Amino acid sequence: MSRYVIPKSVHTIAGSARITVGVPAGAWRQIASVLPSNLAEMIGRVPLRYLADLEEIRLRRDRPLMLGLGGSDYFIRQDGTPVSESSGVYVVNAVDLEKVLHNISGSSMYALEEELKNGYVTLPGGHRVGLTGKAVLENGRVKTLKYLSGLNIRVCREIKGAADGLIKHLIDRRVQNIYHTVILSPPRCGKTTLLRDLVRQVSNGLPGLQLAGRTVGVVDERSEIAGCHRGLPQMDVGVRTDVLDGCPKAQGMMILLRAMSPDVIVTDEIGSMEDIHALEEVFNAGVRVIVTIHGSSLRELANRPALKYLLQLNIIERFVLLGRSRGVGTVEKIYNGNDLPSLGVKMCLS
Amino acid sequence: MLKLIGGLLVLAASGLGGWQVSRSYARRPVELRQFIAALQVLETEITYAATPLPEALGGVAEQVGVPVAFFFRQVAGDLGAHRGCSAREAWHKALDYYGPRSALGASDLGILRGLGNSIGISDREDQSKHLRLAGEQLKIAMAMAEDAAGKNVKMWNYMGLLGGLVIVLALY
Repeated sequence: MSRYVIPKSVHTIAGSARITVGVPAGAWRQIASVLPSNLAEMIGRVPLRYLADLEEIRLRRDRPLMLGLGGSDYFIRQDGTPVSESSGVYVVNAVDLEKVLHNISGSSMYALEEELKNGYVTLPGGHRVGLTGKAVLENGRVKTLKYLSGLNIRVCREIKGAADGLIKHLIDRRVQNIYHTVILSPPRCGKTTLLRDLVRQVSNGLPGLQLAGRTVGVVDERSEIAGCHRGLPQMDVGVRTDVLDGCPKAQGMMILLRAMSPDVIVTDEIGSMEDIHALEEVFNAGVRVIVTIHGSSLRELANRPALKYLLQLNIIERFVLLGRSRGVGTVEKIYNGNDLPSLGVKMCLS
Repeated sequence: MLKLIGGLLVLAASGLGGWQVSRSYARRPVELRQFIAALQVLETEITYAATPLPEALGGVAEQVGVPVAFFFRQVAGDLGAHRGCSAREAWHKALDYYGPRSALGASDLGILRGLGNSIGISDREDQSKHLRLAGEQLKIAMAMAEDAAGKNVKMWNYMGLLGGLVIVLALY
């Protein structure tokens, strides 16, 4: 089961006491507003101690309604009781799905064309709805989805302060600027959450570390960093941040570089040679870069041609390796780009 | 004297009656023209900007004249209020309210009702086809309405007054 929602244990990044992050009432209201009224009421009756841990709501046609609550999933009865066996529980019907789609799209399926192609929609508040159905192909590429049969509404929680412990390691004190940084992480280790908070902090500035706010340009190809709904960031990404939503990374970096004169360019999950060439342009323009890469070690990167090329450019100054050894979002290591092989100190930030 | 006042009243009443009828003939092409313009605006909103219906219809309402603007404002309002209301339901509901108060005939309303069945439920290309089709049908209806207006507007104006005059003369 894939979860883009970052579980609450991300607190290990923050390095402070356990942050309890329940679903705020605002988030629940945003989600309830796309549910048909019968479902919204039913889920609203789920006891608060469960509902506070709401991670996802799964609607599959003719199968039981399922809630992801605090890491495990539950069916629910009409009266809102969460149960783990599927007898006497609410079963999702075609009308429920149709109503959710009406609400998400504003009754305008044509407005979801791009989203159907990608298989997800971002809601106000940054929550995401994943969609499945039958794919309609055109020239071998997905044109749209029809006969939608499954929806997964994933609750979004931004964790402000996720980068508190890390950011001081990413500031070049000699020039009071951000290092070129690569965040290296296996999936589901909290890299996007971390990146978002880095963006916010760099954009707002850090008086405590004598870092003035920088203009940050974010290329958010999958709408995960800023969670844009109709182009408007739904998460706090800072006051000096420009977000290019849904744009392919390489093109987006060029657009930002030419049009928005950013001090820092941020993007998620680079990997292709095209991305690296775009990054080179960014380096040449003297703009700082913070990017994330899928991977679990530097050695692994060196085996991928595009990323090997990036390493050989020898321009990235900090590599941050995330893992889950102390829960999601643990900063396992921070490598200094100048002496890559030798610096292997395990930084424990929690 | 009393006779004179009575005669004038009869004349005024039948004159007004004729004017009413002629006005409904004159209003129909105007409303149809507004609808045609509105559907064109809507098509642009949908095909080029993929604007969701509540906003798109609100935009249309601002660009076309009354009384057609009221119709679009009502659909937009109903859809904007959310809660699983489909575009079809909102469109038909607004049409039920608007139809009897407008100068449109049953066939005109039928075209709009047909459009309501397909609004919002398909991709942009398909939406554009439906909107164009409805637009073409409305254009034909408008040509006929203009024809009818050209013939009937003056006739009913005169008929009202002259008819009144005939009655007055017959009774005098």
